[in-house]
Amino acid sequence: MKIGVYICECGSNIAGTIDTEKVARSAEPLPKVSVSRVYRYACSEPGQNLITNDIEELGLDRIIVAACSPSMHEPTFRAVLKERGLNPYLLEMVNIREQCSWVHSDKKQATEKAISLLTAAVLRNALQQPLTPKKVGVTNNALVIGGGIAGIQAALDLAEVGYKTYLVEKTPSIGGKMAQLDKTFPTLDCSACILSPKMVDVGRHPNITLLANSEVVEVEGFVGNFKVKIKKKATYVDPVKCTLCDECVPVCPVIIHDEYNENLSPRRAIYIPFPQAVPATYIIEEETCLGIDPLICAKCRDVCGPEAIDFDMKPEIIEEEFGAIVVATGYEAYPIENIGEYGYGSIHNVISGLEFERILSASGPTDGVVRRPSDGKVPKTVVFIHCAGSRDPAKHLPYCSKVCCMYSTKHALQYRHLVHDGTAVNFYIDIRTAGKDYEEFYQRAAEEDGVIYIKGKVSEILEDGDQLLIRGVNTLTSETVEMHADLVVLANGMMPSEGTKKIASMLKLPVDSTGFIREAHPKLKPVDTVISGVFLAGTASGPKDIPETVAHASGAASRASTILAQKELEIDATIANVNEMLCRGCGMCVDSCPYSAIELEAKNSFGHTIKVAVVNEALCKGCGTCSATCLNGAIGHLGYTDNQILAQIKALSQK
Amino acid sequence: MVDKELLVKTAKKIVSREDVKYVVGYKQGTYGFVISPSFAYTPEDVDNFIYNPLCKKNLTVYPILEEKLPLRREEEEDKRKIGIVVKGCDSRALVQIIQEKGLTREDLVIIGIPCKGVIDLKKIEKRFPNQTEAVNVVETDNAEYILNISGAVQHIPKEELLSEVCKSCEYPNPTIYDFLIGEKIEVGEVPEYSGLKNLDETPLEDRWAYWEKHFQNCIRCYACREACPLCYCKTCMADMLEPQWIRRSVNLSENTAWNIMRAFHLAGRCISCGECESVCPVNIPLMELNKKLEKDVKEMFKYNAGLDTKEKTLFGTFNPDDPEEFIM
Repeated sequence: MKIGVYICECGSNIAGTIDTEKVARSAEPLPKVSVSRVYRYACSEPGQNLITNDIEELGLDRIIVAACSPSMHEPTFRAVLKERGLNPYLLEMVNIREQCSWVHSDKKQATEKAISLLTAAVLRNALQQPLTPKKVGVTNNALVIGGGIAGIQAALDLAEVGYKTYLVEKTPSIGGKMAQLDKTFPTLDCSACILSPKMVDVGRHPNITLLANSEVVEVEGFVGNFKVKIKKKATYVDPVKCTLCDECVPVCPVIIHDEYNENLSPRRAIYIPFPQAVPATYIIEEETCLGIDPLICAKCRDVCGPEAIDFDMKPEIIEEEFGAIVVATGYEAYPIENIGEYGYGSIHNVISGLEFERILSASGPTDGVVRRPSDGKVPKTVVFIHCAGSRDPAKHLPYCSKVCCMYSTKHALQYRHLVHDGTAVNFYIDIRTAGKDYEEFYQRAAEEDGVIYIKGKVSEILEDGDQLLIRGVNTLTSETVEMHADLVVLANGMMPSEGTKKIASMLKLPVDSTGFIREAHPKLKPVDTVISGVFLAGTASGPKDIPETVAHASGAASRASTILAQKELEIDATIANVNEMLCRGCGMCVDSCPYSAIELEAKNSFGHTIKVAVVNEALCKGCGTCSATCLNGAIGHLGYTDNQILAQIKALSQK
Repeated sequence: MVDKELLVKTAKKIVSREDVKYVVGYKQGTYGFVISPSFAYTPEDVDNFIYNPLCKKNLTVYPILEEKLPLRREEEEDKRKIGIVVKGCDSRALVQIIQEKGLTREDLVIIGIPCKGVIDLKKIEKRFPNQTEAVNVVETDNAEYILNISGAVQHIPKEELLSEVCKSCEYPNPTIYDFLIGEKIEVGEVPEYSGLKNLDETPLEDRWAYWEKHFQNCIRCYACREACPLCYCKTCMADMLEPQWIRRSVNLSENTAWNIMRAFHLAGRCISCGECESVCPVNIPLMELNKKLEKDVKEMFKYNAGLDTKEKTLFGTFNPDDPEEFIM
């Protein structure tokens, strides 16, 4: 056995705080070490060549690189070993940058720590065994969960590459929140006009199976081989027969709020969500229909010419296998009724951003005329309050939702375009217009379109006759502001949707403190999750505007393609393994495994049936929870055996 | 006072069943205050069953340690049930073992005895040393034990002989049983275990000195392990050679490692029967360690071992919301 040790200086990143020469010399007398060198940038081409040459000339068979975190360059150096015919798992990375030079300032102590870490690594490396990664096949189908703009884009991209893609949407139509918007900033183009071509593409694409009115109910399996159960709810209308004639709607006796119009207008129990809905079909809402029972009411069926209505339709469970999953489950608007001082919910003329969006829309409840909910009058003064519930860590959402400054500006500007003698006042904390043409859009609103901006927060909204009294403060002049308005629009922020929470817990995806799904790396893996084969698109991972969402979704589709394009996948070999002689079959590992990667299997032991834990190599992430749980010490960890860890501890505890 | 007639009748009925291999209960020992386990394979074997306050031993070690010899060709597995007599704490051991899949509920026919506390063998032997003849003990309703020793009848207040763990027992009634011998006992306010000061309150140096003194005496006979119903791993970590977690040599360092490891392997599993402490030949207060862990587990995870067979084990539960403020 010949170990080669390489200390990287990483420019001054490591060498600035650690005496690398001293660290290299410290390794020389250690057992099995043949050579110990310092290099300025070990990850560079010449740095890699140095290792390659030593392997050839000195006959090294194990390599230790003391440099940055293994999450950065372990793959680089493993590849070096592999190229020279060595087992890549005989490489040991020692993190002397993130966990040493960057976090210490005393050169002497940092050097000592680096020496200890390196010594531990040398002793551990000598006990390392060559490991062979397992291979698993890949199903080349993709599943996209959520049919908003993120899901639509991801599904279209995947389908265009040629993968069969299932798009599952909970509601009767795809389109999501974007379908409810009137216009989009900063170009003011009509949201439906730019969205509907994509929706139509989804409906028509031969590679896309669109499952609207459906929910993912169970996900099993692992990257390349997810087994998914999808529940498709009964719609009671045959989409093939339905001609969209609208005869059924006027006869339906059930009148309820229309969620597409944010409950500002009525709809019937049989309905089409909106004119451009995809799939284009009417459906009967089971919960509100008088009972899906022709004996009680069958008015819609009676008038339906093409006999499209079928009360016997049953929900079905669709079982499919997928190689990759894109989670595009989106956001929900913050419930602004939580902000007691603004009176949303009790004061009629305090409305949410999305409600105002519908009021502005030509297809909305007021046919595009700005009218306020209480009396239908055209409001002459509208106050827009930014950060309604956002950037308020004490009581509401701690974060900035990114889009509210822009959409409030857009609302104010649109209002001014529609009501020329109207006054639009924006109360803001800060104006955030980071984005292409966003600042120009804000300037235009403020300078050309006469939108008034007041820096400050509104503390209270009260009813005063048929007007609203707004009390707040102008923080630039330090004056209190008291003004009357006819309508107040609250710019509520984004929070993870119910669907996002549900899918996160179903797929065991970690979420951050705000409930959004956590990316595998916030900067370098923004669409990956910690579960391989599961990717994120759009606002499921945090607030985003439309261009960002579309780019994110295309990113997710592209990352998913990297898996779908494989015939088989290599599974990292550093995973749990069971010593059957010691296993007692208690199943504590089964219960504690966060990835459901362990099962108990019945085995015959000298005639007796015993239970033994079996690790699913494709599911195991090598987290080590089972090893820590096992009382018998029967589950070990390949690449991190007890002996290897003990050798490290021994080295680290020596003075 | 447990109705012996009913106990014997119940055990006879169970052992007569075809699907029962044997019933394990208590019989009078051959020496002083010692009570022996009795394995009854036939109804006649049950005649020597007794139950009195000396029946401290936790019998649940027997079904779990039963050796399964290799079967000859064509030989069928013996899947018959085992009958067992349990007190409150013993039944919790069964529940815990069932949770850990060491046994299944179907493997067992359980005779439960509501327990008013048992006598600490060390205390009674200290009081009546060199007692060789078997002794019967009767508990009266006014917290007294009546002992007939060499013809002399002794009345001793219960408090003086009662095991320390029984004084803070929260579960005198079996948490799992098929037959209950006698009425359930009402559980009032239970005083907290008194022996925690050596782990909770005293300064670190004193604490260390206290435990060093005790661990120094350990002879590593592993009687604590053998008596414990939950120390039933096929290969104990203390016996492993690769890696050798604990060296064979008997010295303070290795003794300390053993005793701490033993206690930690019982965290969230110990059911406070006190067997380990009562069999320890050098009187190490092992229950103080166990109780400290029991208290911590209770406070941190709101978890009590051995109450419900459907519940998951403490270490078999992964919950993203687990408190972690005590993790450094």
